[in-house]
Amino acid sequence: MNFELSEEQKMIQQSVERFVQDNYDLNTRISLSANDFGYSSDFWKSMAELGWLGLPFDESDGGFGGNQIDVLVIMEQFGKGLVLEPFLASVVMGGGALKKGASESLKNEILPGLIEGTKQLSFAYAEQQSRFDLEDVITSARKEGDGFILNGQKSMVQNAETADHIIVAARTSGGQIDEDGITLFLIDTNSEGLSMDNFPTVDGLRASEIILENVSVSEDRVIGNIDEGFEILQSVANDAILALSAEAVGAMEVLYKDTVEYTQQREQFDHPMSEFQVLQHRMVDMFMEYEQCKSMLYRATMESVQDPKAAQRTIHGLKHLIGKSGLFVGENAVQLHGGMGVTEELRVGHFFKRLLVIDSMFGNADHHLQKFTTY
Amino acid sequence: MDIELSSEDLAFTKEVRAFFEENEMAKGEDYFVWRNNWFAKAKEKGGWDVPKWPAKFGGPGWTPTQHYIWEQETAKANIPFDIPFGLGMLAPILMGYGNEEQQERFLPAIRERTVNWCQGYSESGAGSDLANLKTKAVLSEDGTYYTVNGSKMWTTLAHVADWIFCLTRTDDSGIKQKGITFLLFPMKQEGIEVKPIITLGGSHTVNTVHFTDVKVPVENRIGEEGKGWTYAKGLLEHERTGLAGLSKSLFELEKLKDQARTVTRGNGNLMDDSGYKAKIAELEIDLMATEYTELRSLASAAAGGKLGPESSILKLKGTEIKQRIQKLTVEASGIYSPAWGDKNIGLPFAKGGTAGYLNSRYFTIYGGASEVQKDVVAKKVLGLTKGSSK
Repeated sequence: MNFELSEEQKMIQQSVERFVQDNYDLNTRISLSANDFGYSSDFWKSMAELGWLGLPFDESDGGFGGNQIDVLVIMEQFGKGLVLEPFLASVVMGGGALKKGASESLKNEILPGLIEGTKQLSFAYAEQQSRFDLEDVITSARKEGDGFILNGQKSMVQNAETADHIIVAARTSGGQIDEDGITLFLIDTNSEGLSMDNFPTVDGLRASEIILENVSVSEDRVIGNIDEGFEILQSVANDAILALSAEAVGAMEVLYKDTVEYTQQREQFDHPMSEFQVLQHRMVDMFMEYEQCKSMLYRATMESVQDPKAAQRTIHGLKHLIGKSGLFVGENAVQLHGGMGVTEELRVGHFFKRLLVIDSMFGNADHHLQKFTTY
Repeated sequence: MDIELSSEDLAFTKEVRAFFEENEMAKGEDYFVWRNNWFAKAKEKGGWDVPKWPAKFGGPGWTPTQHYIWEQETAKANIPFDIPFGLGMLAPILMGYGNEEQQERFLPAIRERTVNWCQGYSESGAGSDLANLKTKAVLSEDGTYYTVNGSKMWTTLAHVADWIFCLTRTDDSGIKQKGITFLLFPMKQEGIEVKPIITLGGSHTVNTVHFTDVKVPVENRIGEEGKGWTYAKGLLEHERTGLAGLSKSLFELEKLKDQARTVTRGNGNLMDDSGYKAKIAELEIDLMATEYTELRSLASAAAGGKLGPESSILKLKGTEIKQRIQKLTVEASGIYSPAWGDKNIGLPFAKGGTAGYLNSRYFTIYGGASEVQKDVVAKKVLGLTKGSSK
């Protein structure tokens, strides 16, 4: 048992850290977020060149054979700058689904472009009525000829706007909330019958509502087995939770450290605010929540690498803690920054908003607490 | 980064379990006979009777992972109860600051568990502000003995202790951390009076101890006169991780769930109650995270020989978790939680649960109250300056 990163992982950590330090100050992020893509395509290219986009894929698929720990290393550093590029949506979620379930020919077709940074993916799992339940799928896929016809609506789909392909969870059999009967399809974003309503999210990223009207897709675009997509869906969701949690831990570190620094500089009542015990204890609480989240992140990630199924309960625990503690740290960072904390001018507010969004993704704190109790 | 135990660690786990099984207390066996045999056999294993002692002083010299395994296994097994004062608190000070003669005089009896020690630190005016202590020790003109006068308070198990290790004031001319001297002396002698303090759970664990002209030979002084604060502080840091008691809490939490399952509620039991279940789950998640905080702290200690910043939160989190388990036990007792006295009324765990809860309130008070711990983290870890206002 050890908590040390490998030499390679340490190098990646340093290079991502440097990238974020050099490129992701608040103003750059704000202007990137406002451009056409909502991120920098130059940065995306650099990430491909540095090999980051291929990290979690098998060597036989052109990747570097990494696992969830490598993703943790990247995402934690990304969290310190709130990186906008679609690593999570395209690589962890989209690429992860292909890695787990796609046929060799489908992987050969998509993964090289994904790793080179020329192709992007998106992962559409949620629907209006489903809230946080992955198995609640109404969007239908009806067998017709050698393919399927898809109809329905997918909600809060990340990175759909710039993706080449979207992975869609659709129902091929069973009732609305049955785990059995869900199938994953790889659909081209320019398919006939697919329309998108794009919009910004509160954290400066983008999402889309997607409508599928008689979208036809051939059977060789099915990822995994027909009717058995839920297991892949859940597994992708788990990896996404680990990645998001790593990002949240990075963001929480920035928030507690910024708060410590700010209270040391700002004087009120003729003293630096950091001298007031009531504020000191609040910052200790923030620091403790950050450390506890980091511990739980390590635990869930290491357990997932060892045995993903056995790690399920810990992952529920992790997402609960990240949601709860993330908002605690975010709210208190804003509080201790006072009036400045509620402006767009300081970065604390932006980090707080990202933590708010992270809690809403793949199930919030209450959802995962409830799931945790079912074991 | 990986979670897997090495084959050596797996073998060690097996060995520990086998040892516990072989040395289970037999039915009808006298507790003290069993206890003495148990420690004797543990000693033969190579220092298993003093797991936390360094190899130099006869400890097993385990790796952090082995310590972790030991703690996990001891929480689940029925092993003899140990009082921490001699073994865990005084022994490290003797090893670090005592002279060879003192080590030879005191360590063997601590190891054999033949002498009970108590800790004479707190006083009525020196709680969180421990350095404010006033118990006076005056060196005789010929320099051969001290005369101790004053009182200690909250002295745990003083009424059964043979010896006390005691912080005394030998100089009050400078800042209060200076002028404190660390003395050892027998409890059963003229001039020492022990009075019980009954705590909320109805039990007698702590005491007030009064000293009137108690003579202590100078050979019983640890280190130099006036340096006692430094020695005691080193120990408090050592104590920080030991108080988390996480493995025990894991065990207690499982026990609590079992107890809650015996409480009927409608057609089911209390563990079907979504509100209660959610509280248990929140507690368990915090415990799981804290376990890894402890492992991270052990790992950084092993790598750099120094405890990382994460270790500073272990006492805070660990004690809070212990209290929450006790509180949920009272909740599980429901209408029976007030039942008191000698009779067994209602649920079998109700009375012990209420007493346990009440007594558990001291977890966040002793060994440095939580608020003081937070002051320490604020200053030492976050680098926040201390308030100038008093």
